[in-house]
Amino acid sequence: MNLDKLLETGNRCIHSEPPVCNAVCPVHLDVVAFISEIEKGDLKKAYKLMEKRIPFAKLIGKICDHPCENVCVRKDFGGTIQISELEKIVISQGYTSPKKTLPLPKNKGKVGIIGGGLSGITTAIDLDKKGYTVSLYEKSNRLGGKIWDFEEISFTKEEIEEELEIFERQKILVVLNTAVDQNKLAELTKEFDAIYLGTGDWENELKINSDTFQVEESSVFAGGRLLGQNESIITSVGSGRRAAISIDRYISKVSLNASREREGAFKSLLEQETRDVQSAEIVQKHSDFYTNEEAMDEAKRCLKCQSNECIKACSHMQRFNISPDAYIRQINQSERIILGTHYANKMINSCTECGLCEEECFLDISMKNVIHETRESMVEKGKMPVSAHDFALKDMQFSNSNRFSMVRKQPSKEQSKDLFYYPVLSYSKYARGLYKGSGKSGYLFYPGCQLSATHSEVIGDIYKYLVGAMKESTIEGDVGMYLGCCGAPADWAGRQDLMQENIKKIKEVWKEMDQPTFILACSSCINIFEKYCPEINTVSLWEIFDKYGLPETNITPGRRVLNIHDACATRYNPEVHESIRNITQSLGYEIKEFAYSKERTKCCGYGGLVYYANKEQSNDFVKDRISESTEDMLVYCAMCKDLFVEGGKRTYHILDLIYAKELEAAGLKKMPSFSERHHNRAKLKIDLLREIWGEKQTMDLINKYDFNLIIPEDVLKLMEDRHILFEDIESVVDNARKKEEYFFNPETKNYLSRLRLDNVTYWVRYEEQEKDVIINSVYSHRMEVVEES
Amino acid sequence: MNGENEKNTPWVCGKCHNKLELQKVKVLYLGGSFEVELMKCPVCNYVLITEDLALGKMLDVEEGLENK
Repeated sequence: MNLDKLLETGNRCIHSEPPVCNAVCPVHLDVVAFISEIEKGDLKKAYKLMEKRIPFAKLIGKICDHPCENVCVRKDFGGTIQISELEKIVISQGYTSPKKTLPLPKNKGKVGIIGGGLSGITTAIDLDKKGYTVSLYEKSNRLGGKIWDFEEISFTKEEIEEELEIFERQKILVVLNTAVDQNKLAELTKEFDAIYLGTGDWENELKINSDTFQVEESSVFAGGRLLGQNESIITSVGSGRRAAISIDRYISKVSLNASREREGAFKSLLEQETRDVQSAEIVQKHSDFYTNEEAMDEAKRCLKCQSNECIKACSHMQRFNISPDAYIRQINQSERIILGTHYANKMINSCTECGLCEEECFLDISMKNVIHETRESMVEKGKMPVSAHDFALKDMQFSNSNRFSMVRKQPSKEQSKDLFYYPVLSYSKYARGLYKGSGKSGYLFYPGCQLSATHSEVIGDIYKYLVGAMKESTIEGDVGMYLGCCGAPADWAGRQDLMQENIKKIKEVWKEMDQPTFILACSSCINIFEKYCPEINTVSLWEIFDKYGLPETNITPGRRVLNIHDACATRYNPEVHESIRNITQSLGYEIKEFAYSKERTKCCGYGGLVYYANKEQSNDFVKDRISESTEDMLVYCAMCKDLFVEGGKRTYHILDLIYAKELEAAGLKKMPSFSERHHNRAKLKIDLLREIWGEKQTMDLINKYDFNLIIPEDVLKLMEDRHILFEDIESVVDNARKKEEYFFNPETKNYLSRLRLDNVTYWVRYEEQEKDVIINSVYSHRMEVVEES
Repeated sequence: MNGENEKNTPWVCGKCHNKLELQKVKVLYLGGSFEVELMKCPVCNYVLITEDLALGKMLDVEEGLENK
């Protein structure tokens, strides 16, 4: 994995980028945090935040010219947040006198400050705090400069004097009534390590570096109005602060320029998403100040701008309370571990790889791609926890074994001749389709492994429909059938070895079958075919339904309203979205769109194999999506239906609307268990071969053991949670009975036996009643126990 | 991870009906091998891993090793 590239992606993430108000503030008050404290009613904490950033906060807070308000994103949605008013009430109610601090030893150097105005007093205080001996020269008889313009307007004489008492407390030498000219300055430069010039005017023009405020290469620094910027109070204060940093660096002999790009006001890269912002009017004050309640209400209007659209949309980042930039730092760290624990593994295997983060990010940062690459890297290095994806990969292996997988051309005319007589040919499109058989496959119906397990009873009907519909519309090619798994589990698990092997097999079939167009009925298949075999033409079953008309079934037109949950794998397939909506509407349903739909759809919680690797995380996705729904849900991916129904939500698969005999019940029908899925797939293959191709059963599904398993409901649930299959239990019990390999509990008459199958040891606790074996519990472990003497 | 808590186990070996004994047993995972004391039939060598052990300490060790 290219970690430099990874970190570069992380650096592009602007989750930590400050909002515009903070960026434009010359002293960078954390406006959002400040306002959040007001919203909570904690004005003291709000004042502390002011004090942290604004020198003489009690005064400056009242007379600041508030450049933040001009850029506030709320401006166009009811009016800018009244930050200046909020500061006033915070000063009035949240002010606490500063704590006495222990004086620092003043041993870092001597600095002379010329001019006791806003910038000068700021520089003086900042340098004093840093441990410099500061002497301040002021030509008038008092410090504060422009602050006095606001006497009796914003505050009293006493208030000003009280704030300026800090000079006495800190024992800063203040020399009043002393004007400094060019000659005096020359003298002072000899006496001090550095000079700050904050006089507002100076007798001759100075060449001031606009970044460091250094005058040429000298020990003199200038700020305030001498910079010629403007009359802004807060800009003056800010320049005094920055000059103090320059002087500190100058005397400490460190770079004057390094990493200071964002010291003054700067342009934030944040582009706040305002799609969902509702307008809200400015809260009016009814006297000189906001009341506490008014202030809280005004604070509530603040959008708390932050780049977090991806997190807001993602149950995964929410569960791990992490932003993409921090996530990438953790991956980087994890990838660099040679010896030690990879703490991020669980998190990395809890992303559904749905891609919504990229869609939500205006910088198109894709955590899906980052995490996918990470999983592949973990696999390559042998660092992927086996248990995370093992069960799902074994399921894939099953689906691509001959117990399910098969490929057939359309039944030949010779094979089908029994159907070619009147009246069958007149009413059966299927029979006519077979009659028109050309022997060359133009289409291959590939229903996928999951739909074949959840809707196995309609796969044959769909196939017959496809033969009828495709051959009717003057299409030369026949329609074949291909059962198998596209390899999505391998892709999600980062198993490129298995993925490539699988794709190779699919491509071989495609070539052998005269390069037909694949008709796909699963969103994950569509995604996998696009990603791994773009040379294969595909079309979704839904587009076929939309274009060639629905199958002739007894469809009851629907009247209800449905929320369509688009599948995340087909996020960028508008033709799929459109055909699903057309079908739904043609069946009489009204559609109510989710806010997150189509290219912004969410994952149901199955994606990325999270359903196996972290069930709790998967449940978060289910709950989140269900909480957004106001109506029954409609999906077109078998796993989406499975998860939402499991979460208690009435959910229809698009095929339910067309084929279900009892629609109401279909919406809540419990989906098959893992074991039933295997059974359904295996049975589907046998049924199709017998019914459509007239081939004899090659395998039988009849119990081949001399006992009957009886599995109570609670154990069935354990099997699902613990990823244990019916056939695993059969193997354990059979082995126990044949070889007498078991433990026995004389009190309960329970048997307990184990059998290692591949890389897992399965344990079954059971009772026997003649031929019945009643299962009481099942569990497994991956460690191998060596049973030797 | 050991079978200390299983000392008073009600399970006996189903084949020879012997009581189980706490013995050192070798366990393997992800290429590593270590010895732990587990309840075992001293005659048939069957090793008892109870549900509590499998889903508790044993799982913790498995996860720990998988994340190494």
